[in-house]
Amino acid sequence: MFTYNFMQNAFLISIFIAALCPVIGMFLVLRRYSMMGDTLSHASLAGIAVGMLFNQNPVLSAFLMVSFFSIAIEWLRKHFRTYAELILVIILSLSIGIAITLLSSGLVHANIDSLMFGSVLTVTRTDFYWVLFFSIVSLFLVYKFYYALVFMVFDEEGAAIAGVNIKFINYLFAVIVAATISISIRIVGILVISSLIALPIAAALQLEVGFKKTLLYGVLFSYIDIFSGIIISYWINAAPGGIIAINAVLLLLCVLFYKHKIKHRGSVQNE
Amino acid sequence: MLKIKHLYFSYSNKPELLKDINFSVNRGEYISIIGSNGSGKSTLVRLILGLLKPSSGTISNSFQNMAYVPQRFNQLNTHFPITVKEILNCYKNVRKKHIHKEIKDVLTLLHMPEEENTLIGQLSGGQCQKVFIARALLGDPDLLILDEPSNGIDRQSQIDIYNFLANLNKNEKMTVICVEHNLQAALKNSTSFYHIEKGKGHVCLPEKYIKEYIKSDLGENTENVYL
Repeated sequence: MFTYNFMQNAFLISIFIAALCPVIGMFLVLRRYSMMGDTLSHASLAGIAVGMLFNQNPVLSAFLMVSFFSIAIEWLRKHFRTYAELILVIILSLSIGIAITLLSSGLVHANIDSLMFGSVLTVTRTDFYWVLFFSIVSLFLVYKFYYALVFMVFDEEGAAIAGVNIKFINYLFAVIVAATISISIRIVGILVISSLIALPIAAALQLEVGFKKTLLYGVLFSYIDIFSGIIISYWINAAPGGIIAINAVLLLLCVLFYKHKIKHRGSVQNE
Repeated sequence: MLKIKHLYFSYSNKPELLKDINFSVNRGEYISIIGSNGSGKSTLVRLILGLLKPSSGTISNSFQNMAYVPQRFNQLNTHFPITVKEILNCYKNVRKKHIHKEIKDVLTLLHMPEEENTLIGQLSGGQCQKVFIARALLGDPDLLILDEPSNGIDRQSQIDIYNFLANLNKNEKMTVICVEHNLQAALKNSTSFYHIEKGKGHVCLPEKYIKEYIKSDLGENTENVYL
């Protein structure tokens, strides 16, 4: 399996995606913004279509487009405080509109299936270098602003009083989310990216441990989901996105079952 | 010293909430801001903290290091996966230059060193409030601002917290501004009251406030005020 170049590229990219997705997912889930990943993955489709129109690398054009929409979401948050989910609908509509118009008009020709469901075959070495660049920069930024991010998500007002530049951190985080999504869609696919962002964290949250431990468990679950997904998709010749999503749900169910067992055992011992 | 002069404030497209607020806070004072719900007490605190900008008027502040203890139940997500130590660590890392105390020391001060690794959601209301006070104390502030510290917590915790605040004010000479509904505690700890009603405020001595305002509400039956 590893003798194929595309599988090597897929695994190398997965090492970074599996770490990045739950890291940004942790902050998105705790801000009740889990569906942002879904909206922005559709924005990345528009980005890829625009990139193809101008003969640019799709990862780069997706990043630029998703960054733009991600910052727009952050900006619109001030104007739709009461109906925050409306912002996601607005951005989703606009990005799908752009993507469908470009792809259906024949101006660009893309393999829609591979973008929707993810594909290991379409990953090139150039993609890998872009992924490497965006991943290292994103992980470094999360590491550098880790305490400000956690503080802001837990207690935004307290963080502002303590001197955290909330506006800057919000916009910076929006760009990190954009980078993560644009590099992940080649493997995971547009339709299932939000599952990779939210589900490993949903499983980790069930363990009821502190922030750092939840984050580390999320990354561990994400590695299990992605690597098992790619291996299974290779053997059964299916799109990796679907298998990864199913694995993520199964793992979540296993954690819920484990939690239930532990609680049950505890209550029996107490009796 | 904190000095507020001719301060007016209104939220966008709404009538003025605060009108011509004037008061000053000297070092070592313990001021309780009192008034009915919606009178603008918390808004005044948010203006002092710089979270809101006044429509007109000035706030001059010569305190070097302010710290704030929020209303617990307004903001706290009890399912948030964060330990006491992580909350304090975030504050410590964000305020690096202004941190003068260790996490263990502030938790010991509040008699909860063993709760370091406990999740915030597993603590009682009183313990939660103590965590936020501990967080504020990490920077050894010269001005401590609290928003209804007794809100939603048990009586014993209220006694502990108010005794602790009184000790900080009297022995450590820490200046305290406290938005307050708990008149008994306010009366015990405060050097003066700032009473806000219908957007207007005035400074009064605690005993005078009790006589003038509570008597007008309860007639001569004021015994339950001095519980």
